[in-house]
Amino acid sequence: MGIFSKSSGAFRDAKGDLILENVTKSFATFTAVDDLSLTVPRGSFFALLGPSGCGKTTTLRMVAGLEQPTAGRIKIGSTDLTGSRPYERPVNTVFQSYALFPHLTVRDNVAFGPKRRGSADPVGEANTTLELVQLSHLADRKPTQLSGGQQQRVAVARALVNHPEVLLLDEPLGALDLKLRREMQVELKRIQMEVGLTFVHVTHDQEEAMTMADTVAVMNLGKIEQMGAPEVLYDLPRTKFVANFLGQSNMLHGTVQGIDGDFTVIGAGDHKVKVRTSRMAPGEGGEAIFGIRPEKTRVHDEAPSATLAGASLGPGTLLDVSFTGVATQYLVDVPGVGRWAVYEQNLDLDRISNKPGDQVWISWNPGHAFGVRS
Amino acid sequence: MTALAHIGSTGAGAQTPGGPAPEPTKKGGITAYLLLLPGVLWLLVFFVAPMAQLAAVSLQSQFPGYPGYYYRDVNFGSYVTAMTEYLPQFGRSLLFAGSATLLAFVLAYPLAYAMAFKAGKWRGLMMICVIAPFFTSFILRTIAWRQILADEGPVVGALKWLHVMPSSGRITETGFAVVAGLTYNFLPFMVLPIYASLERADPKIIEAGGDLYANGLTTFRRVTLPMSMPGVLAGTLLTFIPAAGDYVNAELLGSDSTKMVGNVIESQFFKVLGGFPVAAALSFTLMAVILALVFVYVRRYGTEELL
Repeated sequence: MGIFSKSSGAFRDAKGDLILENVTKSFATFTAVDDLSLTVPRGSFFALLGPSGCGKTTTLRMVAGLEQPTAGRIKIGSTDLTGSRPYERPVNTVFQSYALFPHLTVRDNVAFGPKRRGSADPVGEANTTLELVQLSHLADRKPTQLSGGQQQRVAVARALVNHPEVLLLDEPLGALDLKLRREMQVELKRIQMEVGLTFVHVTHDQEEAMTMADTVAVMNLGKIEQMGAPEVLYDLPRTKFVANFLGQSNMLHGTVQGIDGDFTVIGAGDHKVKVRTSRMAPGEGGEAIFGIRPEKTRVHDEAPSATLAGASLGPGTLLDVSFTGVATQYLVDVPGVGRWAVYEQNLDLDRISNKPGDQVWISWNPGHAFGVRS
Repeated sequence: MTALAHIGSTGAGAQTPGGPAPEPTKKGGITAYLLLLPGVLWLLVFFVAPMAQLAAVSLQSQFPGYPGYYYRDVNFGSYVTAMTEYLPQFGRSLLFAGSATLLAFVLAYPLAYAMAFKAGKWRGLMMICVIAPFFTSFILRTIAWRQILADEGPVVGALKWLHVMPSSGRITETGFAVVAGLTYNFLPFMVLPIYASLERADPKIIEAGGDLYANGLTTFRRVTLPMSMPGVLAGTLLTFIPAAGDYVNAELLGSDSTKMVGNVIESQFFKVLGGFPVAAALSFTLMAVILALVFVYVRRYGTEELL
């Protein structure tokens, strides 16, 4: 944005869902966002989750108006915002580095937006919002005199005071230590419920996304891999990337070998495992990946009974046992499969009898398994 | 140094047995003072002593009937002379230096802005272009400007051909030429601090201005410019202070009617018999005036960083 960019249009007071239609953003050498379409329902807490470089921040910047899409439309309700400038959009951003104005006090930082919009009482609005984030007592300080967590609250207040239709959060908790981050997650969730605005939260922290958001979209290489409620995404990942990025998964790469009642059988070498056909990612025959979450598996000293055929593996060699208090983690090497992890909750008082080097079997409830396509 | 610090610390330990707390402060204190010593000596010998000498000279009185001979005295007569006889030169110094500072700011800010935000791969080259003139003597460059702006030179010739300037007009030996020379010579001192303060600013902060409903111009006025104020302040001081005391530009590009206070001091020292006390008094008065102006200016526009 240049110094003399002219004010091409007036403020657009749009209301409704945030809608991205076939949005693409290409830079000289690569495509950051590739034909992305999504709808964020009004008033929801939406998380864009993905590794760095997946296009999530670029997507956010296009919603803010800080970047323009190469193709596609960005709308709020029925108002098309594509091409409009940041200051014309009912959208505010909480920047990753907070981007507080260093020359202004906390109160003036928060009053900046209301002043620009010609509010009758910008200072009063700033004071009210500072109360919401519990920072009234620091209103006269400069941002540099605050701690990271306090600066973060100022950044949130500075955006919230404008009552934007959509509030964008660009990894806002990234710079905070773990304890403070947990506190701010709860705090942000509280604020979102209180003000009822649409929050779009960009993060690479899967736990943060799952804790806070109603809906999580997992992004990779400029596309959305899967979108849904956190518990749905976790229970039934539809791609290998989601299965690995959201939590941990034990996997078996194999081929689809047939149907057995409600189940699809996947085989690799001597091993055969089964997945409910309804829990297989859509696709035809051929190669497939069987997946099961570590906390849904158990270790055994003896070969499981035949009734567990297709829901067990072994024998394998126990590589490592680590006691973490609430749970014990086992690492098992199964020949022809690879290393699987097993998390067993320590619900009873049995002492751990297995040692590294022991021969063990792994079993699970077949209903918990999922299948994705490779 | 280590040995000295060690002796210092043992001494402290001996004085307060069982109280190890003061040890680190004592040790740090001695090291810090030792490190300060060369700088303090330098300032004493080359700044404080000459200033005292200059002050003494400015208060001397002349032996009646013996021009060029003085005796030690506390006589403020030279200050009265300095402030009555040379008032026009004082005014001109402040006017010329102020104009040059303003011009340099107007030229430097867009340049520094472009270097910080728009130059991309050309930034290094632009930086070299700003600094390169320093490789030539500043007097030579000023003499070169006299050639460029000469009555028969290319600039005056072109302006006359375009009828922008009357055929009798000239640029050299005018106040305009002096201000132009000052602006040219001190421009880098304006560009570099502004560039440094803009370059240091997080571009996200400027984006935040747009995000918070300020258009390009408002963002510049409310965010970018205030954030670069430490640089602007440093640049204007680095331009105004030396420009106000400068005499080379007025000497080489001006005439008798464009003399600045620096020229008066120079001629009082070197060309007027018995001019030493007046020259010294002029120097002190100039310093006092500049200090007062700078103080007011910094109080008005300064940030905590400078005060």
